[in-house]
Amino acid sequence: MASIRFENVSKSYGDLRAVDRVSFEVPDNAFFCFFGPPLSGKSTILKLILGLETPDSGEIFFDDRPMRNVGPSDRNVAMVFQNLALFPHMSALDNVRFPLVERKIDEATIQARVAEVTEKLHMAHILHKPPAQLSGGERQRVAIARALVRDPVAYLMDDPISALDARLREETRVELRRMQQDMAKTLIYVTHDQEEAMSVSDQMLILEQGRVRQIGAPHDLYDAPNSAYVASMLGAPAMNMADASEAVQVLSHTPRMNRNAKTVGIRPENLKVARKDGPGRVTAIEPLGATTVLSVETAGITWKAALRGQPAHEIGAPVQLSVDAGSLHCFDARGNALPAA
Amino acid sequence: MSEIALENLGKTFGDFTALAEMNLTIANGEFMALLGPSGCGKSTTMNMIAGMLRPSSGAIRFNGRDVVDVPMAKRGVGFVFQNYAIFTHMSVRENLAYGLRAQGTPAAEINKRVQAFAELLQLDTMLDRRAAGLSVNILQRLAIGRSAILEPSIFLLDEPLSNVDAAFRAVMRSELKSLQGEFDQTMVYVTHDQLEAMTMADRIAVMDHGKLLQVGTPLDIYNAPADTFVAKFIGAPGMNILNGRFVENAGVVAVEVPGLGTLDVPPTLQAAAKDKKAPNIQIGFRPEQVNASQSGLTMHVGFVERIGARTIVHLEHSGSTAKAVLPSDATPPLAGSDWTFSASDEAIRLFDPTSGQALKGRAH
Amino acid sequence: MTNVSAMAPAVEKIDAPATQSARLGLWLTLPAQLLVLFIALFPILMQVYISLTDWSPLDGIPWWKAHELWIGLLNYADLMADNRFWGALWRTMFVMAICVPVQFLLGLGLAVLFVDDFRGKRVLYSTLLVPMMVVPAVAGYMFFMLFQSGGPVNDLLSFFTSDPVRIAWLSDPDLALIAVMIADIWQWTPLMFLILLAGMISVPQDQQMAAILLGASWWRRFFTIVLPRMKSIIIIALAIRVIEIFKIFDTLFIMTGGGPGVATETISVYIYKVTQQELIWSYVAAIALAILIVLSVVSVFAIKRMQRGQKP
Repeated sequence: MASIRFENVSKSYGDLRAVDRVSFEVPDNAFFCFFGPPLSGKSTILKLILGLETPDSGEIFFDDRPMRNVGPSDRNVAMVFQNLALFPHMSALDNVRFPLVERKIDEATIQARVAEVTEKLHMAHILHKPPAQLSGGERQRVAIARALVRDPVAYLMDDPISALDARLREETRVELRRMQQDMAKTLIYVTHDQEEAMSVSDQMLILEQGRVRQIGAPHDLYDAPNSAYVASMLGAPAMNMADASEAVQVLSHTPRMNRNAKTVGIRPENLKVARKDGPGRVTAIEPLGATTVLSVETAGITWKAALRGQPAHEIGAPVQLSVDAGSLHCFDARGNALPAA
Repeated sequence: MSEIALENLGKTFGDFTALAEMNLTIANGEFMALLGPSGCGKSTTMNMIAGMLRPSSGAIRFNGRDVVDVPMAKRGVGFVFQNYAIFTHMSVRENLAYGLRAQGTPAAEINKRVQAFAELLQLDTMLDRRAAGLSVNILQRLAIGRSAILEPSIFLLDEPLSNVDAAFRAVMRSELKSLQGEFDQTMVYVTHDQLEAMTMADRIAVMDHGKLLQVGTPLDIYNAPADTFVAKFIGAPGMNILNGRFVENAGVVAVEVPGLGTLDVPPTLQAAAKDKKAPNIQIGFRPEQVNASQSGLTMHVGFVERIGARTIVHLEHSGSTAKAVLPSDATPPLAGSDWTFSASDEAIRLFDPTSGQALKGRAH
Repeated sequence: MTNVSAMAPAVEKIDAPATQSARLGLWLTLPAQLLVLFIALFPILMQVYISLTDWSPLDGIPWWKAHELWIGLLNYADLMADNRFWGALWRTMFVMAICVPVQFLLGLGLAVLFVDDFRGKRVLYSTLLVPMMVVPAVAGYMFFMLFQSGGPVNDLLSFFTSDPVRIAWLSDPDLALIAVMIADIWQWTPLMFLILLAGMISVPQDQQMAAILLGASWWRRFFTIVLPRMKSIIIIALAIRVIEIFKIFDTLFIMTGGGPGVATETISVYIYKVTQQELIWSYVAAIALAILIVLSVVSVFAIKRMQRGQKP
């Protein structure tokens, strides 16, 4: 059991500042997710935690113990790779046993550890099968079980389910969350899928070019992003962003907004669309069943509105757009969030 | 512009039936998605339309003319491969010009057309770059452009977005949709992702195990799934299906889900329910049509997933599972509690537990 | 290394840590690297040394004292003026100019046939590879027999003519070289075929499908997709054969012994004769170095072309 803390950690590769004065704390037993676009520093942070890289400056602590001189093998953190790296010629059981057998642990202990882990992960029925005969989600479980039998202080996962198809990803992420709760272990997770990140994590850390932009519970980041960048990273379709002065002209009954607002953001599910003569024209309709995504064009801005259910709309028809005061996000010229009013 | 008609189309590989008795007419200019899990026969169907595979039985007609014996080079079909199959040893220009050169088009004409297409697809700044190492959205445009420049009347796309990052897929989808508007051909799009099918297609053909299960507009299929497979496959998450039995009280039929409670059968389905002799039935309702309620079904809340605009509640009780999707302004139930909910009359669907087929309702 | 090594097979996303450990690695492996370098370079350096002297084992002094017989570049000057050397070099080039293209075209043709499935493919495939497995000396005896004036080749030709054919293949200066080349083509076309087939199979199927759907004929596909994508492997195959032709020896020596006269004397045979029969070792060293330089130029050229082919 361990908390993991970064204090002002930087790491550069040549001119590239991969990780730039990063500080955060992963609480014990948390499901902690790093989220950001490619090259935002996610993978470098994982390497720093694993001990495969040393920080240029700053310090990493596991439970207040500095890790500067602790090598990767002595940190006792486990890693689950993107491609899982299961041994294809071994059964699921032998895969799980492997790390313990390698360390020459006595058979009784091995059996006890394996039984404990496999029971928690509900995988008794698949233990005799080789990886090739397992589904994507089952393989996932074998890889996690193999990481867990060593009783690591934390385990790290680098985009572990991105290779699965959409339906399986939805199921597997819930499964992952459940496993983490059953095992009661710190899980550090990297993904590029915002829905997955919000679904599984207790806390999210959003990165931009090696810097921490915001840390918090997923719904806090979603409801109260501290910047236009964080706001645009979460939610699908992404938040509508418009120049404040233009938005005022387009929205009917504009709520009072912060005078200093340069940009306003409105989440698609908060944008209201009325079938009345107005400045907007419907340009595309995506009926998803549960929701209907409308693209509405007003003087150069394309808005996305996610409407509940299956309201009737026509392409080319005029519409009026509006928003409630509580749903308006305001940002200053540098993209930092401002109080709404 | 072409209409594609598949008549009793079938394909077997030895003992394995990849496709059986497929009947489907794709209208001129239509965007048709072939949707299903891997191994459902969708790619087999498309490869037969392209001419890469020869049908074991049945006919494929383009505008009424059987093309089974027409070799694939002569079918006039544009094809976009899953990995785009861009000729990476050539420049962007050579890729675009490939088909025209093969047809022996004069060089001046080729230059003119390549230039025009490059501008349309916003590839004009990179015409002389090697095609290797270009980003996926550019590869997609190039793959489409390379086929479209020959003005095929039919366009086939084989899961073109499956190798694209989740974050980028929405961009690619809208780009693809707008390109279709640009070229206006009959499009057949193979995918296993229901979201892609729902957002882009005019009509969707849902397939499983070599069989065509249902054809219809995205909303038709979402609202009136023909069977439990389609019901669960469409939607994210898919439809909840619970095993129950009919109970009759004062001439009104309801469905009792053992241990969970009872849901009323809507008036439109009363007649169909009464016609059914066997008491066992499956009841279906969409997760997003579930509301907290005083009476209805009671289940245990296992796990609550808050994802931005919506919250998915995972429900479980005596071996049955269900999901509820609530908007972010609704207060979700607490994990670990028991939650009572119901679904409105319009949301209820009934399915035969043995065949999986939906019971047909009667309009008011 | 318990933690990470258990998962070691897939460290793809996580590359080697830091430059400082790379430097340490260099120091640790330095002795071994120097040894390998020494083993590779020693024979060459020795050749350079001896080629600058007039040393021969018959002189009765050990080779490292060869500098007592220092003659500078005299061996090289002799080489420039040695008509027998130039004749052998020219002959080798001639064999190369005929055999390598013929082997390439035959190999390519066979690869085209074998890239698709047909009945009896496996049997035919194994049969085609047999020549490659025959020991070159044995192949030499086989062709020595075949080309006897009363041998099967003449018998076969007699079948088409009224008079019995009695061509003295191996003792006619022109025909002997042809017979030798036929033997080489017989033995080494399979290797070419094997390499080219491997290359052809690795050309992505969907690229070819895409070309077909764009209306490209077989020939167009072959020249615009298949061959360009095989470029690297073609260069490798050609380079291997060019270098091998310089080393052509056993088959030829058994068939003709380099004769009649010097009619089939290639570089290798010439070197052998100078070494074994005339024992002018310092001169041999000079020839060997000259050839090494020629072949190095060929290899460097091939490698350069290949790298250019692989760059995106």
